[in-house]
Amino acid sequence: MSAYFFSIGATAAIFILLALSLNIITGYAGQAMMGHAAFFGIGAYTAAILNGMGVNFWLCLLAALVMAGVCGAVLGVISLRLQADFLAITTIGINFVMVALFNNLKITGGSLGLNVRKPMLFGARMTNTHFFVLTVILIVIVCLLTVKMRRSWFGMALASINNDAAAARSFGIDVNRYQILTFTIGTAIAGLAGGVYAHRMGFIASSDFAFVISIQILSMVVIGGIGTIRGPIVGGILLSFLPELLRFADNYRNLVYGGLLVLMVRFLPGGLLGEGSPILKLWRRIRGKGVGVHE
Amino acid sequence: MNELMRIEGLKMYFGGLKAIDGLDLTINEGETLGIIGPNGAGKTTLFNAICGVYKPTEGKITFQGQEVTGLPAHVMAKRGIARTFQISKPLADLTILDNVVAAAGVHEYTGMRSYFKKSHTPEVVARAEAVLAETGLTEMRNKRACDVSLGYLRRLEIARVLVTEPKLIMLDEPCAGLSNFAINEITELVLKLKAQKKSIVLIEHNLPITMKVCDRIMVLSYGKKIAEGTPSEVQNDPQVIEAYLGEEDDD
Ligand SMILES: Nc1ncnc2c1ncn2[C@@H]1O[C@H](COP(=O)(O)OP(=O)(O)OP(=O)(O)O)[C@@H](O)[C@H]1O
Ligand SMILES: [Mg+2]
Repeated sequence: MSAYFFSIGATAAIFILLALSLNIITGYAGQAMMGHAAFFGIGAYTAAILNGMGVNFWLCLLAALVMAGVCGAVLGVISLRLQADFLAITTIGINFVMVALFNNLKITGGSLGLNVRKPMLFGARMTNTHFFVLTVILIVIVCLLTVKMRRSWFGMALASINNDAAAARSFGIDVNRYQILTFTIGTAIAGLAGGVYAHRMGFIASSDFAFVISIQILSMVVIGGIGTIRGPIVGGILLSFLPELLRFADNYRNLVYGGLLVLMVRFLPGGLLGEGSPILKLWRRIRGKGVGVHE
Repeated sequence: MNELMRIEGLKMYFGGLKAIDGLDLTINEGETLGIIGPNGAGKTTLFNAICGVYKPTEGKITFQGQEVTGLPAHVMAKRGIARTFQISKPLADLTILDNVVAAAGVHEYTGMRSYFKKSHTPEVVARAEAVLAETGLTEMRNKRACDVSLGYLRRLEIARVLVTEPKLIMLDEPCAGLSNFAINEITELVLKLKAQKKSIVLIEHNLPITMKVCDRIMVLSYGKKIAEGTPSEVQNDPQVIEAYLGEEDDD
């Protein structure tokens, strides 16, 4: 395991965390969130600003989580008044507005961005390896929380709303409340990922949270398999490592993401590992098991 | 007979359209009340106004002695008012069993707190399975709702209602679009519920069925009540005959 692996691995892990959090909003709650990077950015800048004030690393992460979650709750309230297609456009707009703010406000360092001191762990500066391990732990926690969510009434509520909101209301589900809650949870985790990201990079600028980043995160979810846990993880790994292995130039990378996204939605809406996936069918046939619906 | 729900001066306007135009109605405990009327009379709108899908433009709804006018749909469901939809609204990706389990959670959907409670406990699954048996859905339990025919979806709607153990059951044309065989099955099911002394409101276009099942019938036309009484009273009411003349419907 080389330093090179952990360098890419730490970033990949952060993106997997982002994909998992976006999946809660788009996959489980079925909301068209197209500006996830904005909340990633809110978390990152919150952490970076507090870092500059000498605040403890863990407190920075907590603040990043809370700040993004509060902003996400506000978006959740706004989303109640919007149809799906309009919500998509609104969240894209929010992404651009946030980037413009990051790029122009004094507190976010304007176009120069912000430097972030590397935090100390056990008396030494945290390295990529540490960030990798930390993020993997966060991924495991989020996965466990998601599994628990799916088995709870909360998960039942999201599944119901995702299928038919009017039916959900008819058996006692407060659709608005759950919609706000999911936005809050999903964006809070994105903010946490932002906090880790800021510390791991040591420097952040507004372009780190541009709309194309939202598309990258969305691509990971869609390509891996929306509405599953394994989907965003596999999608995140694929899209983080493939371009590195193929040594794509940055511009082509976006083209690849966009192209893959369009192709997947057209030909394999369940994603590589989601529902109706040929890979999964093949795997189940090899293992000689019947095709179940849920993971 | 005890009064379960009282509706007074109910109006439901959509812009200039008076879908419900000043309706008074009482629903008694343990009775089966039929609501009939031509297409577009306002029957479904009445359900939606009662169940909190729409906020009434005017009027007062009292349920079990408490005013419930304008409460949102999920609150009405928790209060014990359960309804089916004229156009079935299955949770398409979920199995039939999970559809019923989802409805069984009517009192569990409490926001963040619901995160900490498991849904498919043996007790809940057993309750859902009992309702599946009652509605003849047992062999469909593991099929996804998007894969079953309309007849099963109509029963699923009723199953979801029953599993909430409602105080008032509201059925919106449960037989619409079904074969004669399936209509008989649904009718038998409603008669079974009636025999259990459940309080039922039934919207039904099929007059013979309504006459057979209901203790009392209210006739709605252009958002107004034009008749109310026992099936035989209503059947012979000249206004009702007129409202149904030239109405060679049905859907
Ligand atoms: N959400 C709405 N917005 C505007 N108009 C509506 C709405 N819902 C119903 N209407 C109108 O109100 C009137 C009553 O409709 P409703 O669906 O209640 O009739 P119905 O008696 O259930 O008819 P059917 O037998 O065809 O089901 C119709 O003219 C309908 O077009
Ligand atoms: Mg109707």
